[in-house]
Amino acid sequence: MAEAVATEASAPGEAESAVPRRDERLVHRGPIQRLLVRPEIGALIGTTAVWFFFWATADVFGTAAGTANYLDVAAKLGIMAVAVSLLMIGGEFDLSAGAMTGATAMLVIMLSKQVGELGGAGLTLFLAVPLSLCFALTIGWFNGTAVDKTRLPSFIVTLGTYFVLIGAKLSFAKLFAGQVVVEGLDNSTAYGFWRNIFAGSWIRNDHFWEARDTVWAGLAIAGVALVVAGVLELSYERASSRESKGLVALLLGLAGAGAAFFGLLNTDGVNANFVLGLLTGLGILVAVIGWGRWRYESLHRRGPFSVEPRAARLILIGLACVVAAIIVAAGFNSDSQNEVGILLNNGFARSVFVVGLAVGGVLAVLVAAGKLPVWSPLIGILICAVPAVGFLMTRQTARAVVFVGFVVAGLIILVLASNRAAPHSAPAGLAIELLTAVVVVVLAFFVRSESTSEKFRTQLFTVMLLIGLALVSSALMGYLFARRSAADAAADKLGRRMAIGGIVILTAATVVKMLFSTQAEIAAAVGVIRYRVSILWFIMFAIFGTWLLMRAQFGNWIFAVGGNKEAARSEGIPAARTKTTLFMLVSGAAWLSGMLTAFRLNSVQANVGDGEEFEYIIAAVVGGNLLTGGYGSAAGGAIGSLIMSMSTQGIPFAGWNSNWRFLFLGVILLLAVAGNNYVRRKAEQSR
Amino acid sequence: MSDVINPPTGAPLLEVRGLSKFYGNIIALQDITTTVEAGKVTCVLGDNGAGKSSFIKILSGVHKHDAGEMFLDGEEVSFSSPRDALDRGIATVYQDLAVVPLMSVWRNFWLGDEPKRGVWPVRWIDIPKAKRVAKEELLKMGIDIRDMEQMVGTLSGGERQSVAIARAAYFGARVLILDEPTSALGVKQSGVVLRYIVEAARRNLGVIFITHNPHHAYPVGDRFLILNRGQSLGNFAKEEISQDQLTALMAGGSELTELQRELSKAR
Repeated sequence: MAEAVATEASAPGEAESAVPRRDERLVHRGPIQRLLVRPEIGALIGTTAVWFFFWATADVFGTAAGTANYLDVAAKLGIMAVAVSLLMIGGEFDLSAGAMTGATAMLVIMLSKQVGELGGAGLTLFLAVPLSLCFALTIGWFNGTAVDKTRLPSFIVTLGTYFVLIGAKLSFAKLFAGQVVVEGLDNSTAYGFWRNIFAGSWIRNDHFWEARDTVWAGLAIAGVALVVAGVLELSYERASSRESKGLVALLLGLAGAGAAFFGLLNTDGVNANFVLGLLTGLGILVAVIGWGRWRYESLHRRGPFSVEPRAARLILIGLACVVAAIIVAAGFNSDSQNEVGILLNNGFARSVFVVGLAVGGVLAVLVAAGKLPVWSPLIGILICAVPAVGFLMTRQTARAVVFVGFVVAGLIILVLASNRAAPHSAPAGLAIELLTAVVVVVLAFFVRSESTSEKFRTQLFTVMLLIGLALVSSALMGYLFARRSAADAAADKLGRRMAIGGIVILTAATVVKMLFSTQAEIAAAVGVIRYRVSILWFIMFAIFGTWLLMRAQFGNWIFAVGGNKEAARSEGIPAARTKTTLFMLVSGAAWLSGMLTAFRLNSVQANVGDGEEFEYIIAAVVGGNLLTGGYGSAAGGAIGSLIMSMSTQGIPFAGWNSNWRFLFLGVILLLAVAGNNYVRRKAEQSR
Repeated sequence: MSDVINPPTGAPLLEVRGLSKFYGNIIALQDITTTVEAGKVTCVLGDNGAGKSSFIKILSGVHKHDAGEMFLDGEEVSFSSPRDALDRGIATVYQDLAVVPLMSVWRNFWLGDEPKRGVWPVRWIDIPKAKRVAKEELLKMGIDIRDMEQMVGTLSGGERQSVAIARAAYFGARVLILDEPTSALGVKQSGVVLRYIVEAARRNLGVIFITHNPHHAYPVGDRFLILNRGQSLGNFAKEEISQDQLTALMAGGSELTELQRELSKAR
């Protein structure tokens, strides 16, 4: 035992002195791997994909009008989704949340209506609004306490509350108002004050700002530059000594790019545009390499140029995909774009569908009988899917789908090829990445020449050129400088701060563009663009929820009671109190949502909100929250509600029957759950 | 830190005399006597159903004893709740571990008593401090976890035990009760945990180590309490008993000799 003590005594001392600035035992993780373990990352990628999809298919979606529209829907859903996310992380459900929004809205109207009018209690809204909050919090307390004391699943307890609320809403509305709708909030005392708080709005058309586009562009460029610098800082090895030559190149490059960009803004000639655009790109490239020269260690071992046969095969396949995409898109006649079902003769399609149904059913039975491998009924589903999807497609859609599919596949394969070749031979990695950049630029010009849509020819074209530029820079950086192999806390901190700062600036740029209008826009715009105050409530609530979860002690308790209730309890965490507080938070959020509805409409149907609780749960799950508790994020709930509102609003914008939104939501839910599962398993393996 | 824990008072840190516990007509524990001293390891040995869990539940405040006396620093006590026991410095690390697998190491370390900044109601966790202290405290126990953001679920069984032990030691535990910390572990991992036990005792904590494995108990223990069917089979200081005697006593002495004879006959 004395020996054991002696060895033990020396070990901690050694370990302490062996903690250097860089912890060599930490395997370095690049910025991308680090992002991938965040719970809401799947939802973030999904949001981008959904946004891009509707941006491409619906004209109004990407504009301020479309944004105001889907953000308003997202706000009502999101306030609840954030609260429900916290509750779900705490390991519980609240099925009464939807009905509660309607109940508080009804209650505030009934409390504040003039006495003598049917059902009115005649209170001023200064009393009625807080009283309805008290009501909501009491029901929340009841839910939490009942779940704790009965030890029944919250699913059952809140299902009970749900029915109680529905019954109460309908019956009391009938009893007092004689109908299932209560109305007349606008006659209440102090109505104006509360309306400004819960139903105010910002009318964009009233806020001119001629310099808006300049400010927007400036912020956007600054934001992108910061993000790029941050990512570089996270990815490359810091130089032991700074080289000032690099700094000179950086400044010269920036000056050149700035001058060329300024010239670009002030010319209209096509040729001048190309020359100046090229000069801007070159300036940026020089600046990026100068930055690298200044800050990062050069790559010492580059290896000879060699492409292993596997990588070479990948390059060929990737290029073949891109060529196929171009041939298909150029060869397809894009006339008659509105004719549905053009791809399939209807009689044939019908027979294929029938065959698919039969195959699927029979194979499923055979699988159940243990005769076939478990995936075989998929054959039937795929056979059915061909006519079902083919029927929906116009020629134009089919062309777009095939083109995008081939292009994405080709680019992914090229990136894989460069990842495979680069570690052995830096020159080969450089060559393949440059090739990919060339492919992207060629595709950009192809899109510009082929597309009929103004949006694709200008905005998408520019973005694709920028992607090409980014690829060229990253190829050169990878060739010239050494990637980081060990953790470096100081550089990580700086890089993270720069990247986050860049994202904040980019967000500010978007907000500026969305909030203010220019004279030219007003001249062209149709209708009034109105931002509801509910959006502000939503953002504040999402920030509050995230702060609560990640930074406050209560957040730690939420994770603990959801992750391992017994452990939480034995560490002295008041588990019952934590859960009850969460239930009260959800019903408090329902109150906020109810107030937003009541003051917007001034009258409330008794069935408002009923059934919406599943949408909240879907949004929370799509946002990466674990159904069984203990893992997730409040921001995830907010992002999940963004995805859902973009889909439900984007579908009518694109001119489709809005019933398709259910199909869309179902697919998103399944994809999100599968994706989140994968992310979480990754997170459990290596955080 | 080790010099402030448990200053000498003369009386043993924790002492029980004639402790008994009944569940209805079932005698779970009868007439148990032992002591726990600062800087020493008291091992409680016994087979399944011997009353080990009842014993620690009384010491950690989950149950109240029905007869006998319990002294903390020579003063008679009776704990009203686990919180009460914890406040008096008796921390328990249970077999199924009070850690949350999907939470990071530092969040688990501080669970329930997070360091805070700010003024009520706007208070937040001092995350840099929380991470730094957690890392330091784990290092003091000789536990070297690379990344404080790592999820506890990804640690090995021994490392998880060590996080729980370090946490208990940091939060002012004077007496550390370890409930079968080695029973689910492999040989090497058990060795690691046994070292943490010695380390905790070296830092002047009184340790109660519950186990059914005399090979784990004997090398680290200073005092041995052997339980069988709720009765005490003896309460020995280390110099009063050898490892073989301990093993024999644990397995029920004569029964084991009988078993050996039968087995050798069968061959």
